[in-house]
Amino acid sequence: MLGLEGNGIRTFGKFISKENANIYVQPIGIPYNITPKFQIGGIFPFKFITPKGAETNGGIADITLFTKYQLYKKDGKAKTFRILANLKQSFPTGKTSSTPKIGSGIYQTYVGLIVGKISSTIGIYGDLGYNITSNGATDNFLYNFSVGLPLLPQKYPQKQINTFLEFNGNYIVDPKIHTIFISPGLQFIPGRRILFETSFQIPIIQNNISTNKTKYMLLLGTRFLIN
Amino acid sequence: MKQLYNKTATFNFSVLLLFLLFSICGNAQTTTTQERVFIKIEIKGMACPYCAFGMEKELKKVAGVDNVEIELKEGLAYISTPVSQKPTKESLEKIIVDGGFTVGKIEFSDKPFKRTETKKKE
Repeated sequence: MLGLEGNGIRTFGKFISKENANIYVQPIGIPYNITPKFQIGGIFPFKFITPKGAETNGGIADITLFTKYQLYKKDGKAKTFRILANLKQSFPTGKTSSTPKIGSGIYQTYVGLIVGKISSTIGIYGDLGYNITSNGATDNFLYNFSVGLPLLPQKYPQKQINTFLEFNGNYIVDPKIHTIFISPGLQFIPGRRILFETSFQIPIIQNNISTNKTKYMLLLGTRFLIN
Repeated sequence: MKQLYNKTATFNFSVLLLFLLFSICGNAQTTTTQERVFIKIEIKGMACPYCAFGMEKELKKVAGVDNVEIELKEGLAYISTPVSQKPTKESLEKIIVDGGFTVGKIEFSDKPFKRTETKKKE
């Protein structure tokens, strides 16, 4: 959340196992705080797709630029509650000429709200938004909800292990397709500057998807603070 | 007689040496403490180790600060600077607000503050 992550680099490698392909996405996210309330940044994803029985095709996928603006903040002793506006713009930078396609081939604009409450005993995070697409593609609602619990007492700067349970949802308006993933995860903070996180996403709802359903996703990420 | 004289002289010299040594050490400690100003800052909203690090690196940029101690659970940061480089309350408030947090009470003292948590030094 804004003001809490500082200036750093975030990577979050995602392995997606689908019925007819395996996909690996490696995004690199770079946020930058212009003011304490206003953050800009970019997400530069590299995507590799291996269809069953075919060769891997990979390269840079659709680049996203984002801004976050803090609308509300209430801070207390070792706790905070924040609401942010979130605007993202994706560009069709990924290749669509080859098969399988690396990019979506469309512009996407996402407008959403982020709500987060963090204390030394629990972290609750919600992200709800609407994704507007170009070229006649369907718009969709996206939502994420996560609850994080520290496994070890929060001390600084000692080593830290947190566990979290996340729900990631995607609701496409037309045709109506609803997917929800449940993702248990672990976060390990070995030192001041670096954080490792991993989670396993399993679909619990995949309505109206007849082909190429997701079997599971495995995520491994790092956050590294600069300066 | 000569042996007794030598023993007494050695004893006297040892006592004198120990006295001098303690005097030097005592003066050095007093001088160091007197030369520094100790600051306790209440930082509201600092709720995770990752954000505490962000605050620590900002406070280390204050002139004269070589060590920052943070009590995450209490939302407190402790710094000290040479008296000649004592920061203003306003400059410290700006650092906290620019870091994305809410500033609480800021206290200055000529003596180190008592910690509420087990301290962890750099």
